Amino acid sequence: MSRTTTRARSTKDRAAKDRAAIPPTLAFLWRLITYSPWRYLLAAAGWVVFHLWPLLPGVLGKLLFDVLEGRAAPGTTVWTVVAIIVAGGLARCTAIIGATVAWAGWYLRARGLVQRNLLDRVFKLPGAQAMPKTVGESISTVRDDSDAIALMGGWGFDMLAGIIFAVGGLAILLTVDVTITVIVMVPLAVVLALAQFARARAYRVREQSREATARVTGTIGEIVVAVRAIKAADKKDEVVERLRGDNRVRKTAMIRDKVQSLAIDSVFNSTASLGAGLVLLVAAGQMRSGDFTTGDFVLFATYLMQVAEYTYFMGYLVRTYQQSGVSFVRAADLLQGAPPMTLVDHHPLHLKAEPPPADPLPVVEPLRELEVRSLTHVFPGSGRGVRDVSLTIRPGTVTVVTGEVGSGKTTLLRGVLGLYSVQDGEIRWNGERVDDPGDFMVPPRVAYTPQNPTLLSGTIRENVLLGLPDDGRVDRAVHTAVLGPDLERLDDGLETEIGVRGVRLSGGQVQRTAAARMFAREPSLLVMDDLSSALDVETEQELWRRIFATSTTCLAVSHRPAVLERADQVLLLKDGRVIAAGPLADLLESSADMRMHYRTPTA
Amino acid sequence: MSGPVPGRRSWRPGAGPVTHLSLLRAYLGPQRASVVVMIVLLVLSILLEIAEPRIVAHFIESVQLGRPESALVAIALLFLGVAAFRQVGRVIAAYASERVSWTATNAAREDLAAHVLDLDLSFHESRSPGELIERIDGDVNQVAEFFSSLIVHLVGSVLLVIGILTALTFLDWRIGLTFAAVTLVGLYGLAKVAAVATVKWEDDREQSARFFGYVSESVRATEDLRSSAATGHALARFHRHLRAWLPVKVRAEGWGSAIWVVLSLVFTACMAFAFGYGGIFYRNGTISFSGVYLVVAYATMLTTPIEVLRLQVQNLQQAGAAIRRIAELFGHRSTVVDGTEPLPRGALSVRFEHVGFGYSTDGAEREKVVEGLSFDVAPGETLGLVGRTGAGKSTVAHLLSRMYDPVEGRVLLGGVDVREATLTSLRSQVGLVTQDVQVFDASLRDNLTFFDTTVDDDRLLAIMDELELRPWLATLPDGLSSRISPSTLSAGQAQLLALARVFLKDPGLIILDEPSSKLDLVTEAMLERALDRMLAGRTAIVIAHRLDTILRADRVLVLDRGAVVESGATSDLLGDPGSRLAELHRIGQVLR
Repeated sequence: MSRTTTRARSTKDRAAKDRAAIPPTLAFLWRLITYSPWRYLLAAAGWVVFHLWPLLPGVLGKLLFDVLEGRAAPGTTVWTVVAIIVAGGLARCTAIIGATVAWAGWYLRARGLVQRNLLDRVFKLPGAQAMPKTVGESISTVRDDSDAIALMGGWGFDMLAGIIFAVGGLAILLTVDVTITVIVMVPLAVVLALAQFARARAYRVREQSREATARVTGTIGEIVVAVRAIKAADKKDEVVERLRGDNRVRKTAMIRDKVQSLAIDSVFNSTASLGAGLVLLVAAGQMRSGDFTTGDFVLFATYLMQVAEYTYFMGYLVRTYQQSGVSFVRAADLLQGAPPMTLVDHHPLHLKAEPPPADPLPVVEPLRELEVRSLTHVFPGSGRGVRDVSLTIRPGTVTVVTGEVGSGKTTLLRGVLGLYSVQDGEIRWNGERVDDPGDFMVPPRVAYTPQNPTLLSGTIRENVLLGLPDDGRVDRAVHTAVLGPDLERLDDGLETEIGVRGVRLSGGQVQRTAAARMFAREPSLLVMDDLSSALDVETEQELWRRIFATSTTCLAVSHRPAVLERADQVLLLKDGRVIAAGPLADLLESSADMRMHYRTPTA
Repeated sequence: MSGPVPGRRSWRPGAGPVTHLSLLRAYLGPQRASVVVMIVLLVLSILLEIAEPRIVAHFIESVQLGRPESALVAIALLFLGVAAFRQVGRVIAAYASERVSWTATNAAREDLAAHVLDLDLSFHESRSPGELIERIDGDVNQVAEFFSSLIVHLVGSVLLVIGILTALTFLDWRIGLTFAAVTLVGLYGLAKVAAVATVKWEDDREQSARFFGYVSESVRATEDLRSSAATGHALARFHRHLRAWLPVKVRAEGWGSAIWVVLSLVFTACMAFAFGYGGIFYRNGTISFSGVYLVVAYATMLTTPIEVLRLQVQNLQQAGAAIRRIAELFGHRSTVVDGTEPLPRGALSVRFEHVGFGYSTDGAEREKVVEGLSFDVAPGETLGLVGRTGAGKSTVAHLLSRMYDPVEGRVLLGGVDVREATLTSLRSQVGLVTQDVQVFDASLRDNLTFFDTTVDDDRLLAIMDELELRPWLATLPDGLSSRISPSTLSAGQAQLLALARVFLKDPGLIILDEPSSKLDLVTEAMLERALDRMLAGRTAIVIAHRLDTILRADRVLVLDRGAVVESGATSDLLGDPGSRLAELHRIGQVLR
């Protein structure tokens, strides 16, 4: 028992600490509002008018019956009532249009600002750990949580209008008749509170139906993915029978879920009628005596129609507030270490004109020596990674890293590039210690082609340049990357749109476009991770020939005999450690592993 | 266990053309009684809703006539009773409609899944799994929505509007006429504005998809952007996307709000006419004081169903499109037709006679992937297939298991043309082990038997023994009933699972597409021993990637661009340095 309590308490403590670290939601909101305050004010004014309008018909309905019964102030006629309602209606329409346009402008700015700040931060962190969660979750934070955060802006004036509406409506009813208001409103409030409570409790049934739905979708997904296997096994009927079972479970769960929520809804829907009935019941005596007029009844009945909607609206506002709190926490998580308020830092969004061009690459001193000392990066959990790896690279040399799958080749390259935060060891560039390799080991010093490069949608030219000025470097880079023949075959050459993540290109073309992107940066050191994975032998050989012809310093992962033979030094990795290093010929002599790994063509 | 569930008619294509109506009749027909109950309750609750203001009017009249308080209390209680009964009726009607809807759409889902499984692979190759899930689940869900809430709301709202207008006409025909006109003009205006707004929203969605497409790809490309010193460029592109979105968003929101504007105008008009008519007609004695109340009450009631109607008409169009897509899917027919001749048992001979084949995607031109392909495999022999990607190796496997039929020539198994063989005998006699093994998120038993409950555990355990999987089985929490999923199995375990499935069938021909990815040494050794046992006494065609596997084959066929470029005994080819096999070996296409 004590253990669970301790754990519960520590979770609670941590949650409390997290909450303490993150400023209150309203603080974020205030920063967002002040980003575009006039739009926000206009939207707020318009929506307050919109929300308060429903108070008008009730008052006017009462006024009409008072006029007809001769109780109204002198000079008030039926036409006064009609004129006020028409004027009110037109005012409401104007408010709607003005508020929406102002709101859309504010919302997109507020959301864009949050997204900009998130992206800016994600781009600044070491690549491989920019995201504390999966990429998908991070993207959904940038997309959905930014939305929840910006929608909080609307929450501000909705809440304001809601409170004015409730206080105003109640005040009007109280001036008509205090006793009846209390007698009718108290039971209604109790019923609505109970229904609201039931709605909150309904999540368990909702959860069941969601699970059952997920199961059905999962089963259908498995069926359509496994069509070939199911056909080959000739088990169609059995598989459909399984779907039928899942379907049955879902049907029961769904019906229970829907009927339950409909039953709760019907409580809300019936408040207008039940409330009106209650008024009739309570006021029967007073109506006979004329203390409670038909106009008063109309006023009550009209406002009672709003109660259900209002309760629902308030429930929605409370949920929005809670959700946006969660969204702020998630977004702050993604900032990883940066103060949470940077999420809403004011920055220009360049919505009126083209953003200024990116800074050109700085001029740096050329590479004289790169030294890596006892670099260690071990993945928590699997224990894989690299341990205590040292190497020295001199200008114009070729260093090749080789070894079996899982021996740590890619981890080594990424460690050198600073794509992981340093666990141990250091990197020295021209004799000076590099404090933040992630920021330092980038163009124009180092450029990198990963094993599975990611391209952006757009043209090939855009992907090669990524914002660099085109001073003939594209043609040079494309030549070195042996992309020429492919460009000739593509309809639009360099201007070919490659689709999302380059889907319209073959794997080999994606890899060489990424290589061209690397060459276009004209770095001192080229880092390449297994260019062979998507290239045919001839193209790859030509690519290496051209790389070697530029006599740029290279650090590469490769298994190709031709590359290994050309290398000034070969590093053979096994289980994350360098087990042999030196020219290939020496290694073949000294290392049995190298001999096993390097199968001569005449095996 | 297979076949339609008793008590509902299974609907399958073949019984005439597939239309909207035939679909509705097939799935709703069996539930006529529930549908009737649903409609009766719905109509009743609407009549009561219209009766409510009438009861209040009666109350007001009674007040004016000076009736005793007890009479007034009785009327108030009647009002409360009607209101409560109406809500109960609504809930029961909703329950009935949900039942109708889920019974019908579950049947549709099952029939669609069975139908899709009947269709040949060329159908599946031209569609992504996501698209099919969207058809079988997404579209059917939309139809479910149509049956359950749409009918209730749509029919309910139409009836309510008609009821209210009728009640107003009873008060005075001019009032009825005016409100009918307001309703029609309002609906027309709403439809017009909604049509424009829909287009604007479409633009907005497109722009938003483009925007988030960019955000998501740039987040995914973080590492590439960083190592290319291009994050500034990426942020500039973000700004450009946001700038393109702003005017589109403002326009969409503006037109979206126009719907609210029209609704506000309709409501204002209703109130203004109610106040105006009420006041004037009361003054000139056309209607009574309680009549004024009725006009105001009904006018207030009128806007809600108008708004619901606008929404539901839009949903109706979407559901219509979903039904159309479902009907279209049912309309597809498989090109692989069942034969009549059962294949012989035991090891099968294989013969390809001038076989030509090309994949076609929905009528597009076929490019031949296999042409004039001829070869023979004797019963019990093991043939190795070697070649680069796209050489036609998997096509051979597909043609043998009748996932497709050849365009030219014949494929014979045990002397029988596969097109004349019964699909049941073919699928039980041909065991196919593919590279990517389908693992279901289900129990190990179901994964082995494909949910066939007639296979007894003893047989499964015997096979586990034979594949040396018993120690692994012992580590699972619930033995054969343990839940496994694609993520809990290693590549090697998945391969062994696939072999176990084939063992269960005891086929005369095994087609093995060897995994090209690396397995760990222990699993590899287990696989080797399993293959030794499996291939004994059976004909086998092995698409090989590794030297060990090639050495297992009696003969090797080297394919290039859909034709045999070399064939012969394995040892001869490997021994000849000039052979294609030796060349492939050298440049590393065969082995790693």
